[in-house]
Amino acid sequence: MSPEERAEQRIGTVLPEVALASVAPPHAVWRLHEMAARGSGALLVFWSSVCSHCARYDQYLNTFSERHPEVAFAAIASRQSETIDDVRAALQARQLGFTMLYDPGSAVASQLFTQQTPRVFLVDAGSRLIYRGAIDNFKYPEDAEYEPYLEPAVESLLAGRPVARPETPSFGCAITSVYYTIPRPLKRS
Amino acid sequence: MANRFETTVRESADLIETGLKLLDGVFRQVRHSLQPDHERERTAVDACGPRNVDGAVSEISNRIVRLGTMTAPEDAPAAWREVLEDVRLCFTDVDGPRGSGRFGADVVLSTGMLAVQQALRGLSSHYTSPDGAFGTFVVNVLEVFDDAHIYATLQYREVIDRYRKRLERSPGDGAARVELARTYIKCGLYHDAIRELEVARQDGRARPKALHELAVAAFRAGRNGDAARYAREAMDLNESHPRTRLLLWLAAEKSGGYPADVPARMRMQVRSGRQPTALALEDVAARVGLDKTSGGRGTAVFDYDGDGYLDVLVAAAHGGCTLYKNNGDGTFTDASIPSGMDTCLTAFITAVGDYDNDGRPDLFITRNGFFSGECSLYHNNGDGTFTEVTAEAGLSGWGPAFTASWVDYDLDGRLDLFVAYNLGSLFERKTRNQLFHNNGDGTFTDVTDAAGISTEWPTIGSAWGDYDNDGRPDLFVSNSLGRSQLFHNNGDGTFTEVGREAGIDTYGLGSICYWIDYDNDGWLDLVQNVWSDSEDVIHTLEHGEGPPDGQPVRLWRNNRDGTFSLRSRELGVTGCWGSMSGNAGDINNDGYQDIVLGNGSPRMERVEPLTLLQSDGRRFHDVTFTAGLPITGKSHGVNLADLFGDGRLSLIVASGGAYPGDLLTVGAFCPKERLGHYLNVRLVGTRSNRSAIGARIRIDAGGRSQHRLVSGGSHFGCLPFEQHFGLGPHTQVVDAIEIQWPSGARQRLEGPIAANNTIRITEGDNRIEDVYASRGRAMAGPAELEPA
Repeated sequence: MSPEERAEQRIGTVLPEVALASVAPPHAVWRLHEMAARGSGALLVFWSSVCSHCARYDQYLNTFSERHPEVAFAAIASRQSETIDDVRAALQARQLGFTMLYDPGSAVASQLFTQQTPRVFLVDAGSRLIYRGAIDNFKYPEDAEYEPYLEPAVESLLAGRPVARPETPSFGCAITSVYYTIPRPLKRS
Repeated sequence: MANRFETTVRESADLIETGLKLLDGVFRQVRHSLQPDHERERTAVDACGPRNVDGAVSEISNRIVRLGTMTAPEDAPAAWREVLEDVRLCFTDVDGPRGSGRFGADVVLSTGMLAVQQALRGLSSHYTSPDGAFGTFVVNVLEVFDDAHIYATLQYREVIDRYRKRLERSPGDGAARVELARTYIKCGLYHDAIRELEVARQDGRARPKALHELAVAAFRAGRNGDAARYAREAMDLNESHPRTRLLLWLAAEKSGGYPADVPARMRMQVRSGRQPTALALEDVAARVGLDKTSGGRGTAVFDYDGDGYLDVLVAAAHGGCTLYKNNGDGTFTDASIPSGMDTCLTAFITAVGDYDNDGRPDLFITRNGFFSGECSLYHNNGDGTFTEVTAEAGLSGWGPAFTASWVDYDLDGRLDLFVAYNLGSLFERKTRNQLFHNNGDGTFTDVTDAAGISTEWPTIGSAWGDYDNDGRPDLFVSNSLGRSQLFHNNGDGTFTEVGREAGIDTYGLGSICYWIDYDNDGWLDLVQNVWSDSEDVIHTLEHGEGPPDGQPVRLWRNNRDGTFSLRSRELGVTGCWGSMSGNAGDINNDGYQDIVLGNGSPRMERVEPLTLLQSDGRRFHDVTFTAGLPITGKSHGVNLADLFGDGRLSLIVASGGAYPGDLLTVGAFCPKERLGHYLNVRLVGTRSNRSAIGARIRIDAGGRSQHRLVSGGSHFGCLPFEQHFGLGPHTQVVDAIEIQWPSGARQRLEGPIAANNTIRITEGDNRIEDVYASRGRAMAGPAELEPA
């Protein structure tokens, strides 16, 4: 990606189209621009079945569409070496019911400058980026230090207000990392 | 009480060390004669398994320990089958004539050498552990080094599955359930942990540990009332458990005090950090936009885009680097994506230096100091972006690099680089530290062997400073599980190890280190952090000082004759902390450098405060809580910088730990009020390296002198090149500034020089430039500046 391309993907700009197939049969293609325009906007979450940080948000993501039916929602499995079967198995084992898209070669993650999971992108009905970053500050709601990032952004989207904090640094497991390809003699082939 | 064995080992440590090293030498010679090329350096990622005997032996040793910790006794036969299979896998890709007698001998000798290395590390640990605490220390080390692999490579699900299978067979196995829950806690899945622990507590044998871990999980989940209740129940079973007592205190602190039914004997009276100070700090991180959440790692403060304002880089154990651009109006903007630094993943420590003297500071970054990785060199393109040029520069390498620092050791005007290596796993061999000479064409040459800088110990800290004032930078190496080393720069590209003669080669759990002139006598003194285990930390919290046999941070006073004296206790530095990070700076602007310690440990139960030691010129005083610092948890990346250009030195700290569940938020603690006048000085080298790394600055003001060293980074907090001088409440004029440049040039600027300013001085040019003059003087800070 050129410096110009990096600089262009700012808050407020229209995200490039994301069109990926669902891991669930019949593997329908989910298109960001179309899905966002159907309602008030759309949420994309970069996700991985082996990411310990993602696991923490299972319940939050499982109930997102129920809480915000106006916002289209899909997760994207982008991790290198993660197969569709790996993803399906995790969805089943963890009883995750949300739409899961598969990103071969981490192409969409690369296009959206995403290095780790989970990382969320919230767009309005015109697919303009209005929030990018973490879901919260990795604390639980009952913690006095808990600070949600995504929920206030969604509320602002639905209320037609500007998002007070449109970007936060993401944390999480790397999508592409040398540490997943180093010798692992302990893993049975 | 020390038993006879412990006493004998301590008294005979030198003898044992010499014997072990002799044995190591014999093994080496025999191996060399058997197979001269067997000791190839591991410089790249192996394709699918260890490629040499040393790697395979280390790997299988790690595996056996891991299996041992996760396997129930009744499963031992099956585990042995697994070990045999792993032996086969570990040796599959090893080069060499497997099955031959020579190969077998090589495996035996390699194992022997590993045993010798481990014995040397054990000797050092034993020597420095408090009486009776060595066993606990070993257990902690086993867990930390063993776990690092599991979580860095995301194998935690395999661990969870293993414990689940055990529980399917034996649902009443409380110990296995506690370990499953501890794995959940390390992943940040606290609710899952609590669910399992509520079951485990029904098992009488597992109940005490389950209750303790319940307190940990509940505290981590922010359920402080529950955490206090669990800790109280755990203490009912074991009143003397200091770690549980600390958890009870922490939970009580966060929930408005101890519940009424907690008896006095279970309560903790915290006496540390309560000494008086006029300093009042507030966390402005969220307000100014620096509050990154992650597993805290290194920070660097530098002006990456040349606009004069100090920007902040925060590395992260879990994710990419974040580069915050200082907007000059009291706020920061995340420039990670435009700059390209978001692609720098799992960074550990950052060192800033302009290696090509183009006026734009570049970055060298180490990765995962407790786990192997590749270091990276990022070239600053001057347009707000960085390009990784590691391979082109000849700096590619693989290993558990911990600290890195820029230095012009041969005084040729170009920055060279030193990289210190720790251990990447419990049974890893020492990766040699490396000194790279800058060739002046964007490339570097490894000159470690020619320079004579070698160590057999795992290294955590390294710091360059001219301790004998001969004009040449010397190197102090702070080794964990070993002796410290001091390398004197001979001025001909070689170094001589003089640690013993200098009286500074003591054993210890050495952590990061840095040179400061704490007594302003013009001779560099040394701060060496050492790491203490939980019990000593808790003792410090309760008593305001560590136990008599504890290991406080080492403050070495320069005796001005090539030797050093340990002065920690005389200077009031008596607390024992898990100090992993730290830095010095004059936060209250009184003319004396204060010390900040960033403390912690990978264990999830371990939560510690930062420590702020305020100097009055005679002693240091622990003013942590009085100054308003909270319990930050785990503090890496401690940095000190005048972020807002108004004379208030902010304390920036990237907090967080190694486990994925140990994410914390960056703090930026700024004085509410500036307590004295100040002068910030920036240098630009011309004959010297452009960053002026290695320059010494002396200012005369108010009838006294102060001294600073421009550092090229030596640990988690890479300080800005800008040097901050506090002048006290009455001195508004500096009488003179004298600079000893690395080139050898000495430059003196006579005053009066107005205080309360940030100035720039160029080598060989006696004009004083006002850094912020063209930008309307001082920037807007996060709050209105109160007059001093």
